[in-house]
Amino acid sequence: MVDFLDEMEACVPALRRYARALTHNLDHADDLVQDCLERAISRRSLFRPRGPLRPWLFTILTNLHRNARRAERRRGERVDLNTIADLGTPAPQPGHMALVELARHIETLPLDQKEALLLVTLEGLAYQEAADILQIPVGTLMSRLGRARTTLRQLTGATNEPRLRTVK
Amino acid sequence: MSAINRDILMAYLDEQLDPAARADVETHLATNPETAGELDTMRRQADTMRALYPAIGNAPVPARLDPHRLALLVQRRRWQAMAQAAMIVALLGIGITAGWLLRPTDAPALYNRLIADAVSAHTVYVAENRHAVEVASDDTEHLSTWLSDRLSTRLAMPDLTGQGFTFLGGRLLPAPALPGGRAAQLMYETASGERLTLYVTPATGIDGPEFEMVRLGAETALYWSDEAISCTIVSDQPPEALEALASVIFSQLNPVEPHENYREL
Repeated sequence: MVDFLDEMEACVPALRRYARALTHNLDHADDLVQDCLERAISRRSLFRPRGPLRPWLFTILTNLHRNARRAERRRGERVDLNTIADLGTPAPQPGHMALVELARHIETLPLDQKEALLLVTLEGLAYQEAADILQIPVGTLMSRLGRARTTLRQLTGATNEPRLRTVK
Repeated sequence: MSAINRDILMAYLDEQLDPAARADVETHLATNPETAGELDTMRRQADTMRALYPAIGNAPVPARLDPHRLALLVQRRRWQAMAQAAMIVALLGIGITAGWLLRPTDAPALYNRLIADAVSAHTVYVAENRHAVEVASDDTEHLSTWLSDRLSTRLAMPDLTGQGFTFLGGRLLPAPALPGGRAAQLMYETASGERLTLYVTPATGIDGPEFEMVRLGAETALYWSDEAISCTIVSDQPPEALEALASVIFSQLNPVEPHENYREL
């Protein structure tokens, strides 16, 4: 039990980061992480698959976020893109606008592409691990990843990277 | 030199390739500046993303995200839920028990209604002279068969000549106290014209005393029941005389000796 909780505690920073990137809202992100941890604790004995704890926690968090999004869409609320200005980003700096813009673009990605992109890029997970978390085949993960990156390149390339616009 | 597609390039960027495959890609990149540029863009993108969502690292974690604390909370909540469930069960149990104990006491009242029916039938028919009975005593055997049949229970016609009562006959009556109930009324008369009736129904299956003596105006009713029948004797005899009569009647209606202790109301 204590081992389990310690192991879980070690995963909390990564979960918070992933949740922040998913929600673009610090409070919502921490709510999500808290829900995820509580669920994991209360279902530990019943549902925990064999194997490492981390992917399981990420799967729970992903599913909770999807459910919340679905509920939000039913209620007709829209995520306010302006809230991203409140992100825990470093103080304004030359690249700050680029960051905000990228955040905006990431926010426009379909959720499944966004999840794949965040897990691989932020968490540096192996494709297989990310695919397991999202419960999809590796091929599907890669195609989502590819589409996400192409879309982002097209969106950001137009303003920030003119010299690379011709690529591909 | 194998072709480098987007997936391989991406896998190279994400460091998912084994050393041999990496080397292949690097060779390819060296001679393909376009692909190298594409890789650069993707890498910049990834770097920007990591800058956008910096690793949280050792920043203090809010207390509400401490798994140890959460585990305690979850456990406490589980106990509370269990306590609540137990409470609900207990309350339900108390409610059901109380409901059972305080259930409408219809059943005990039923035998009282039977007694009342017997008394009213008695007062109606003892006043009759020509039509006091439906089937007269000269056809006792037929009467016995008929009433036994209608009441679906074997019914003997007690002989009370030793007590100074002549059997007049009997009739079939509705027993309003019982749903769809029927009762047999048997009538006896003394030489001086005092009449006594028996009001017999099949066993009612209801709760009630085995014996009960009730005075209703001038009449005394003695109620008695066993597993086969219930019988109410109604007459204007004094209670002691009625008790003496009752033991004779019961022993003939039913071979088992009746109880000695009547409950006086």
